[in-house]
Amino acid sequence: MSNSEQKLRQTLTQLPREKMPERDLWQGIELGIERQEMKQNTEQKPVKTGVKPISLAASFAIVAIAGWLVTQQLTTAPIENNAPLTAQQLAEALSTQHQSQRDNLLVSLKDQPALTEDWQQQLAELDGAANAIKAALAQDPNNTALLKMLQNVYQQQMSLIERVHSPKWRQI
Amino acid sequence: MVELQNSVVDAQHTFAEKAERDVIAAAQQGDKLAYKKLYDAHVGRVYALCLRLTGERTMAEDATQEVFIQLWNKLSNFNGQSKFSTWLHSVTSNITISYIRKQKGWFQRTFNIEESAVHDQQIDTSADTVSLDDYVLRLPERARHVFVLHAIEGYRHEEIADLLNMAVGSSKAQFHRAKQLLTEWMGNE
Repeated sequence: MSNSEQKLRQTLTQLPREKMPERDLWQGIELGIERQEMKQNTEQKPVKTGVKPISLAASFAIVAIAGWLVTQQLTTAPIENNAPLTAQQLAEALSTQHQSQRDNLLVSLKDQPALTEDWQQQLAELDGAANAIKAALAQDPNNTALLKMLQNVYQQQMSLIERVHSPKWRQI
Repeated sequence: MVELQNSVVDAQHTFAEKAERDVIAAAQQGDKLAYKKLYDAHVGRVYALCLRLTGERTMAEDATQEVFIQLWNKLSNFNGQSKFSTWLHSVTSNITISYIRKQKGWFQRTFNIEESAVHDQQIDTSADTVSLDDYVLRLPERARHVFVLHAIEGYRHEEIADLLNMAVGSSKAQFHRAKQLLTEWMGNE
């Protein structure tokens, strides 16, 4: 055996068996286990525990359908209807419904820590965007493009809330 | 006197083993606090293995998390016939290797770039603190996997061939290559 190989062998015996990670990994592990258990429960009891994902999907569907109906109503509103709803009125209904869906989602995720600290600020910025669109709708009550923009902002809020409450290892 | 000291050491060892068996049994029953104790006791060794296999800190942290998440479900498979740390190391190697496979992109998989490339990371060989680990992390991926599993973790080439999906001869060749590179780098110190 050459000297260099001997040196390598000797160095190998001194190699540390342990190395500690620089950040705390336990929180992510705990969340990962919880997610895994939730998934297993959902697979075992699809009716009872599948409520959350279904309700979330339903909330998106409701928002989308509402938006589509609004658009349809505005573009194809029968002439005989004396008082078709304006985009602004429908935006108010959409806002009320979105607020309720958002509250439900936040309540369902309240025990899961958020992965970023500024997510509420981002949510507030999207609130600001929604308010600006609603203000524009007040000036132009039949503008369906504004209504679609509002719907899009609400969808962004829902996906933001869901995303920041997913464990990091799931986002890879 | 020496006999007395030996029996004290044996008693401590037996006590520690029993304490760990109790913690494992509790974790197998779903006790997360017990599982956290197991994590605290073994994270250092698991992370060290993940780091040496992945060759990169962030990926090693993610792989360590993946190991402990999957381990929670696999705990019931541990029957106490081998040492827990031995079993855990085997689970860690398997999960980390499959984690690395999943993380490697299509391009890397198709062209097998990593197989022959020495890592670009620069090592300051003028520093007094250059360790074998620094050199190991610089090895090409396959040579590193084989070297870590064989020289550090004590796997046989047959086991490595099975785990890494390669021929036994390839495992031996990669080990030889790793040794050559390491001795060359260490000789230049």
